[in-house]
Amino acid sequence: MAQELVRMSNISKSYGRVEALRGVNLAVYEKEIVGLLGDNGAGKSTLIKILSGAIPATTGEIFMRGRKVDIRTTTDAIAQGIETIYQDSALVNELSIARNLFLGREPVKGPRFLDRLDNRKMNEVSRDLLKKVGITKDIPPSTPVNAISGGERQAVAIARALYFKSDLIILDEPTNNLGVEETRGVLHFVRSARDSGHSCIFIAHNIHHVFQVVDRIVVLRRGVLVADDIDPKNTSIEAVERVITGLVDEE
Amino acid sequence: MQQRPLILRLITRRELGPFLLLVAEIVIFGSIRPEFLSPLNIGNALDFTVELGLMALGMTLLMTSGEFDLSVGSVFGFSAVLMWTLKNSGATSLTVGFFIAMAVAALIGLVNGWFVTRLRITSFLVTLGMLLVLRGAALFLTDGFPQRTWSAEGSRLAGILVGELNFGKLHVYASLFWFIGLAIVLGYVLTRTKTGNWIQASGGNAGAARARGVNVRWTKTGLFVLTAMVSALAGIISSIRTTSANPNSGTGYELEIIAMVVIGGTALSGGRGTIIGTVIGVLILRLMRNGIVMVGVPGLAYNIFIGAIILAMVGLHATLERRRRAEA
Repeated sequence: MAQELVRMSNISKSYGRVEALRGVNLAVYEKEIVGLLGDNGAGKSTLIKILSGAIPATTGEIFMRGRKVDIRTTTDAIAQGIETIYQDSALVNELSIARNLFLGREPVKGPRFLDRLDNRKMNEVSRDLLKKVGITKDIPPSTPVNAISGGERQAVAIARALYFKSDLIILDEPTNNLGVEETRGVLHFVRSARDSGHSCIFIAHNIHHVFQVVDRIVVLRRGVLVADDIDPKNTSIEAVERVITGLVDEE
Repeated sequence: MQQRPLILRLITRRELGPFLLLVAEIVIFGSIRPEFLSPLNIGNALDFTVELGLMALGMTLLMTSGEFDLSVGSVFGFSAVLMWTLKNSGATSLTVGFFIAMAVAALIGLVNGWFVTRLRITSFLVTLGMLLVLRGAALFLTDGFPQRTWSAEGSRLAGILVGELNFGKLHVYASLFWFIGLAIVLGYVLTRTKTGNWIQASGGNAGAARARGVNVRWTKTGLFVLTAMVSALAGIISSIRTTSANPNSGTGYELEIIAMVVIGGTALSGGRGTIIGTVIGVLILRLMRNGIVMVGVPGLAYNIFIGAIILAMVGLHATLERRRRAEA
């Protein structure tokens, strides 16, 4: 069995009297892509927001490599190696690819008071990274992000997570609004992220996309984790759909 | 990365439109009235231009970070009045008064920034409130009368800020060099530094910037402080040059300054800004005022031209921006 990377233990979240999550236990192992499925309102986003530090859990604990961690803000989560890539990808449109990649952690050269960006280093690293996540087209790292396609934007976000050695990359609907070709690209980036040693949680409405890329499927229904070890290789899509909608409880 | 040819990079820059307009203005006014290009007129036109220009430079960075400041005109009037009141009442020397006025301006910027970033009130409302508070304070402090300022003559501080310099027939004030210096420094900060990256990110997508660990709050607050301080400096410089600290001076400057910044190509909504554009924008509006008077257009018609320039330039920037996206 692979090493455990992150464990969410007994996570609950209530909004007033509404229980969005009830006693969820979920572990993700090293070099694993977990597909998180569930209907609208099943609690997927809530669970992910707790893990990425966007909202606090009402109760429950999070462990990284067996050590309990305190995640209160998105900065905490990033410091713990948890990177979340939201659907409206967290990039600044006006800035270049290179500047987005290094945003918040820009390399500086020369005397400190000059605060001068090391553009050469940023461009070189960016070019390598884009190649690594599988962008074969020659896009200069100085291109503003609003001039590249949706799939390429996802690739930039993934490249950023790779470079900053995030252990866990959470992808929230990364294939939404993407064309066939771009979707294929994103699935490819996710696989290459795993192959270079990262773990991923992959959330998508489109079960077909999930089936193509994940190692294990977990299902949330009405705030409860109803399945946590579905193997996409020997389970049919229809069977998983039945678990999601609640027609059967387990596979 | 392949570099595009220099000429292509130049014609796709957003400063090109404003630059051509500025050249056209100079050519047209210069050909109708050759005196427009005389050293005397250039010197005169620059005097007040650099004072508004200092404020516009600060405003450029602030607007790039996604905020703006309507209180700059009031800070302009209030700071000069404060410095001269301190001096004339015998409370402090001129130099000490200057530093107190600058410190108060920094505090004003801090308050603006605190309201905007902590209480999350839009900068429109916060700085509108500050505009009224400071204008009221300046009037109250002086009973509405201008402060005597003739005693600046010969003071070292006055020399450093607004000393008179002659280059042949061209007569300028030292403030011109403060403006040039500040333009270079802020241009460098905006385009070449980590801070500049944070400023653009704060204005472009504050949520994304925050998630990356960028301190959006202090970035914006710092720029409110910067804008207030350069406005105070501009007000003090102006009061020494014109030998009058009038509690009403600076009224209405805020909109002219925002117009200068926007004409140059900085986005009102934040995320992108250009210091070169602002310098061009400042010159466009000031030379327009100077030029139309010289060619005999009634000064009262000035605003017609200014309004038309603003509409033409924002139309141009929006069209180019759309085309840039369509090409991608």
